[in-house]
Amino acid sequence: MRKWWAWIALGVVVVVALAIVVWPHGEQSAAARAHNLETQLKCPECEGLSVADSNAPTSLAIRADIKKRIRQGQNDDVIRQAYVDRYGEQILLQPQGSGISLLVWVLPVVVLVVGAFGIGFVLARNRRAPMLHASEADEQLVERAREQQQ
Amino acid sequence: MRAALGYGAVAFGAAASLVGITSLLLGLQVRDPFMLRLGRRCMYVVLLAALLAAAVMESALLSHDFSLKYVAENSAIATPPLFRFTGLWAALEGSILLWAVILGGYLSFVAFKFRKRGNDALVAVACITGLVVALFFFALMLGPANPFRELSTVPLDGRGPNPLLQNHILMAFHPPILYIGYVGFTVPFMFGIAALVTGRFGEGWLEDTRRATLFAWGFLTVGIILGAWWSYEVLGWGGFWAWDPVENASLLPWLTGTAFIHSVIVQERRGMLRVWNLSLVIATFCLTILGTFLTRSGVIDSVHAFSKSDIGPWLLTFLFAIMATGIGLVFWRGDALRSPGKIDSAVSRESAFLANNLLFSALAFVVLLGTVFPLIAEAVRGSRLSVGEPYFDRMGTPIGLALLFLMAVAPALPWRATSGEALRNRMVVPAWIGGLTMLVTVLLGARGLAEVIAYGLGAFAAAGIVRQFYLGARGRRRALGESPGLALGRATRANPRLYGGLVVHLGVVMIAVVLAASSAYGVNREVHLTKGQSTTVNGYTLTYLGSYSTRSAQKNATHARVRITKGDRDLGVYTPMISTFPNSTDGIGTPSVRTGVVDDVYLTLVSGADDKGRVTIGVRVNTMIVWLWIGGAVMALGTILAIAPRLGRKPREKVDPAGPDGVVDTPGTDVQPSGSEAGVMA
Amino acid sequence: MKHPARWIAGGVALVVVVLGVILAVNVGSDAESGVQNSPLQNKAAPAFDLPTLAGARVTDADLQGKWTVINFWNTWCVPCQQELPELKKFVKAHAGDDTVQTIGIVRDPQEPASVIRKYADATGMNWTIALDPGSKAALDFATRGQPESFLVAPNGEVLVYFYGPVTASVLDRALAAAGGPTS
Repeated sequence: MRKWWAWIALGVVVVVALAIVVWPHGEQSAAARAHNLETQLKCPECEGLSVADSNAPTSLAIRADIKKRIRQGQNDDVIRQAYVDRYGEQILLQPQGSGISLLVWVLPVVVLVVGAFGIGFVLARNRRAPMLHASEADEQLVERAREQQQ
Repeated sequence: MRAALGYGAVAFGAAASLVGITSLLLGLQVRDPFMLRLGRRCMYVVLLAALLAAAVMESALLSHDFSLKYVAENSAIATPPLFRFTGLWAALEGSILLWAVILGGYLSFVAFKFRKRGNDALVAVACITGLVVALFFFALMLGPANPFRELSTVPLDGRGPNPLLQNHILMAFHPPILYIGYVGFTVPFMFGIAALVTGRFGEGWLEDTRRATLFAWGFLTVGIILGAWWSYEVLGWGGFWAWDPVENASLLPWLTGTAFIHSVIVQERRGMLRVWNLSLVIATFCLTILGTFLTRSGVIDSVHAFSKSDIGPWLLTFLFAIMATGIGLVFWRGDALRSPGKIDSAVSRESAFLANNLLFSALAFVVLLGTVFPLIAEAVRGSRLSVGEPYFDRMGTPIGLALLFLMAVAPALPWRATSGEALRNRMVVPAWIGGLTMLVTVLLGARGLAEVIAYGLGAFAAAGIVRQFYLGARGRRRALGESPGLALGRATRANPRLYGGLVVHLGVVMIAVVLAASSAYGVNREVHLTKGQSTTVNGYTLTYLGSYSTRSAQKNATHARVRITKGDRDLGVYTPMISTFPNSTDGIGTPSVRTGVVDDVYLTLVSGADDKGRVTIGVRVNTMIVWLWIGGAVMALGTILAIAPRLGRKPREKVDPAGPDGVVDTPGTDVQPSGSEAGVMA
Repeated sequence: MKHPARWIAGGVALVVVVLGVILAVNVGSDAESGVQNSPLQNKAAPAFDLPTLAGARVTDADLQGKWTVINFWNTWCVPCQQELPELKKFVKAHAGDDTVQTIGIVRDPQEPASVIRKYADATGMNWTIALDPGSKAALDFATRGQPESFLVAPNGEVLVYFYGPVTASVLDRALAAAGGPTS
């Protein structure tokens, strides 16, 4: 049991740290909300940069618009939908919604799960297989080597 | 004249490849050593032909020979000599030429290294494969990607390279280093195919190509880090990785390549994971071709899409031919590929490597899926969607954290099996260091879940690495009484592969920590300053000192001078600028970065002085970025160490069983005397 | 399972073939062509209420009953300067026609209205020029840059979206195709 103390104590430390991180601490500030939304919208005139990362005029305009909308009390989904209505689905940097968009989220998880099961299956099957037994010749070889060492 | 000479050199290279393939095939059929040697010699000729063509192109670029279309499009009279030289790889046709040169280099290396094994069928088939690849690239240059196309009317001046490609000296390093990495994976690929064809899928082909593979991997790693550096220091948008399709194209072969260099260790040790290794090496090579396809065919929007061409179908066809060959060969060999060994326990290094393979493959799948998904969506339902950073972060981070965990645990796992207790005893100290680090970072204010876990796992891994070094040195000290420094040095020299790998892992930890830190909210602001005015961002005081302009034939630039101070410490004057080039209307911004150990102050000039003399300066404060570059350098050093030949006692030496200290050392092992764990690690 | 390598190889081959078909289909098309579509196509033009250089205001109500070309531009954009003669040609050709109007909207103005007025007068832009403070209209019209133009029908519906500089003949052709008056 003594051997386990170190690990139990470590577990406690880790859980405490994670708890502090995950503990809900009030509403996200407006600035944090704005920044979050900005990372999710693509700058329309750039090559793949988010509105948060780009300082193109359109990005600046969108950032100001987002802040205005937050002040007006619109929630995140409403703001995102407004931009999708305007610019089309391309404006979102991660596919949302149903249909084919789900594929991009689901496929990697499927790959990982199938892979993990495959490995688990292989390991379990090997465990059930009998261990290799040494043959007579092998045992004699080992004996001879041991004698040589003395 | 030049066009004829260059095109002739390319044709000569294609011919040499063809002759080589034919003579090798014939030589194999009739078992004629002369034919085999001739085929190998053709590989040297391929290199010479490619070098000649490249030399012709460079001389055309450097001497402003605008009769060549490529020169007219990629250089101008005002272009400085350095950027005329780098014009060789500024656009598609030249890049293919560079690829051919580097491929010729690797082929010559193979021909030289295996010159004494000329009659070995494995070597011969590998050479045939390599020459087929070379033939393809030369054929590209004879057809759709001809660099020596001439213009009917010679213009007086060229268009000049894209402004982004003549802005920074990195242009001389990033593409060639990246290509040395890309092309290098052709070598293990050649031998993998040869192993499948000849039926000799034991360990021989791995050992033969180990150093070449690590060499290529090292260059690819450095190439990717340089790309990140370019993105950060030159492009000026403030970040180092945009999940741009071309960036992803370089990352994909790196992911499968990294899985490969780890997985081969299992095959060397226990002969297992053969199908994995063959699949990974074929996949890596295919991904390098796919990468070229994505970069150059214009199928996907990208920052790198400078030139679109009709090379797409050719590359796609070649890619599918390779994939068909690889999959077909694996299919044909089927069950014969299965290795006799089995994984005995889930708690073993073999399982760890197997999990490693799965995780890296899953990560590669995520990156690949995200990159081509816009195309898939468009094909299926007609409208595009975007897949950007949020997706890759959300899907990739859990996999990355799992890999970090594996990296921390695996070196303590022995081969075959161990008891859970032995493992726990080994890991308790590093695990505690990881846990305490987590707590400390949280107490210091870190609030991202993935971020904090990354810090903890990173510390765990780093502690584990330090422990390995400590054990290695301690073993020598106990047995041979060496001083700590000497023991460490000699231990490393005796097993550079192991310790080199550990050094690389240390670099990875550094980079993982930076990635974790950068996910936290950074500061990004624009400030408007008149001359002499100051403002404070995040504790740094910025004072605008004034602007000045420079003019040269190459470009005009507006510079803004800003002094940065922190408290009462003067950190210097930094000069972000905007340059305009004659062939383009847009200004190209160049940032100026004050690199610190913890923070970077990142300045960009958003707009120059208006009629009131106010400038707009973009200010970002980025955390820990310098550790990316340091981590990259550490990884490069570790790779060099891992390739280095082992020094110290040679394994085959017959040693008196009872040496001077009375220590028994069995010949044929490379283990430091005593320290059972250290021995297990080797 | 017998021949697991074969099963896996087969599965990978299937995925690769599917991917290949998709990539091959796309190789022919140009990635940029997707930009030609605007999500506003065939929808009502968004509401706007902007000040003009003349001191008045222009709103989306002014779109009713006339064929309108809305042109987003600004003074420091070089392609805008290049399309300017073409716009002037178009406006001149339809000068007598009451049913065709052109509204220019200054996107992302960097200088005060007086400077823009001077520029417009100097270059002969004799149509309604509106200012877009805060880039609200630019965002509402889902523009990505400048110059971009829209052809709006008399009922306020957006018919055609032009990404990049336009020519008089392109505008005339679009107008005629939509059933509007020829010049």
